[in-house]
Amino acid sequence: MSSISSISSSIHEFESPSRGQQALYHLRRNPLVLIGLIIATLWIVIAFLAPSTAPVEPLKQDLVNRLQAPNALFFMGSDELGRDIFSRVLWGSRITIPAGLAVIIIGSSLGVIIGAVAGYAGGLIDELLMRLTELFMAFPFIILAMAVTAALGPDIRNAVLALSAVWWPRYARILRGLVLEVKSQEYVEAAHSAGASGLYVLFRTILPNCIAPAVILATLDIGTAIISFAALSFIGLGPEPSSPEWGRMVSIGIDFFDQWWMWLFPGLAIASLVMAFNFIGDGLRDILDPRLRGE
Amino acid sequence: MNFFRYFVRRLVFIIPLLLGITVVAFIIANAIPADPINANLPPNALNDEETIAAFRKKWGLDKPLHEQYLTYLGNLLRGDMGTSIKWRTPVAEDIAKRLPATIELATLGIMYGVVLGVGLGLVSAIWKNSWADYIARVIALIGVSFPVFLIALVFLTVFYAQLGIAAGPGRLHILMRAPPTVTGMYTIDALLNGDWKTFGNALSHLILPALTLALYISGIISRITRSSLLEVLNQDYMRTARAKGLRERYVIGFHGMRNSLIPVVTVIGLSYGNLLVGSILIESIFAYPGIGFYMFRASTSQDFPAIMGVSLLFAFIYVGVNFVVDILYFFLDPRIRVA
Repeated sequence: MSSISSISSSIHEFESPSRGQQALYHLRRNPLVLIGLIIATLWIVIAFLAPSTAPVEPLKQDLVNRLQAPNALFFMGSDELGRDIFSRVLWGSRITIPAGLAVIIIGSSLGVIIGAVAGYAGGLIDELLMRLTELFMAFPFIILAMAVTAALGPDIRNAVLALSAVWWPRYARILRGLVLEVKSQEYVEAAHSAGASGLYVLFRTILPNCIAPAVILATLDIGTAIISFAALSFIGLGPEPSSPEWGRMVSIGIDFFDQWWMWLFPGLAIASLVMAFNFIGDGLRDILDPRLRGE
Repeated sequence: MNFFRYFVRRLVFIIPLLLGITVVAFIIANAIPADPINANLPPNALNDEETIAAFRKKWGLDKPLHEQYLTYLGNLLRGDMGTSIKWRTPVAEDIAKRLPATIELATLGIMYGVVLGVGLGLVSAIWKNSWADYIARVIALIGVSFPVFLIALVFLTVFYAQLGIAAGPGRLHILMRAPPTVTGMYTIDALLNGDWKTFGNALSHLILPALTLALYISGIISRITRSSLLEVLNQDYMRTARAKGLRERYVIGFHGMRNSLIPVVTVIGLSYGNLLVGSILIESIFAYPGIGFYMFRASTSQDFPAIMGVSLLFAFIYVGVNFVVDILYFFLDPRIRVA
């Protein structure tokens, strides 16, 4: 718990300008964060511009030119139906990035709320919610997401819902601990005695003081969310087969093993995006948690 | 606390957890699909009143929900996980048949993974900020960031298709016959049979998928090893150990490693979950006929009973492994014995 409070306290001090300069200093010392930021920004720009910049429609078939190796016309080759892999990879970012972010936002919000309520309410509610959290943590989470997606029926929305539904337990645990810590502070007591309602105190007084570690964890988690979504999609529990989704493209590419461009480029797209977010998350943690910096 | 009491206490803790898992599985299987009959029976059986009636009766679908759960639990305890839609065979039998292959692969994978992960973590903690540290961290980063199916495909292309130094897909050469079944694990069965040629071939088929699994889980293991050892290296007792003239390798080996091992063991237990997920993705690429490949084919054809069966099994294995990890704490962390 001490590490978490040190993260949160360092974030608060971080807001003063001298800390801002320190952040720039760390950014320079941590070139990987910068590289991560550049790659991630590039992908986000690509996601916005794909409709106007992709050379071909991602679903357009060209049976004459099927299974072409990368060449001047098809930068990344073409697939078994003559669709342009390059265009499909560009378009894929429009599925993967929002899906990954949605999982993190829904999942972490759920965890924050559950954890905060458990920590603040205490007693029986706390006990019940924490047992539920432990139960969800007992499953390897992607397996649980697979079962849920299979039950809901495979498509993008259900894959995102299923991943969000299994994503929250770690956030709930951390938030509960933090809320317990903050709850006993004097300013919380002050808010209570000033007549603020329980909900008001929880969401306006306590939560803002424990949200920072959850934000760091969420940043660290974006890469995992993206790779998990790709995995679900790879095994057929994501978007429909024709969709230009990266995991799905790799999965179809297995049947065309010798046509390496069919699986390599979408695979590298996933890897570069995940790596970028991991660089950012790691760097953020190193900067904000001085204990791990290891000077 | 003596070992027996610790063991029993952990064991008591695990039973509600296992029951809870069956409740979650039951809810997913019976409450989420709009119609469990649609989800669990093959499409051509949906017009057959008799089949539907038999299915309703077997799983107690006409009874209230809590009785349905008890029926479900009873069927489960008898080893009945329903019938696969795709293969029309009992899911439990399918799983039992394929489990040894996955255990064989996962065991080798976790062995490589722990050696690789702890090794890389040690190197980068001891020689912090050296070029060795950077190389080790890049390898760990690849393990964490690259989708495991991409690593598998690259390995297969490079080491099998291009260099030809590793065996390709499957468990054995096509022309070879499986050794007589004792454990179902080809390497062990071949050894029991004294058949070195089959043993060698089975092992060479395991190496690439096991290495892929290893790279996949070693990323997280090496990160934890590194940060945990770095923290220990700064402790006062490390300085004391050096000050009293111990050689560096004893300082690191006995004082450093032992104290940094606890988080590492925890993360090895937790990464068993990754290992199971990884087995689905890796086995499907290496056409390795284990549980993972079964799960892959079940989910691509939306074979719901098979998917639920494997999910349940994986959850149980995961809980079992983490139970073992809890037991290991007893030996690794003397503080538990005092508490």
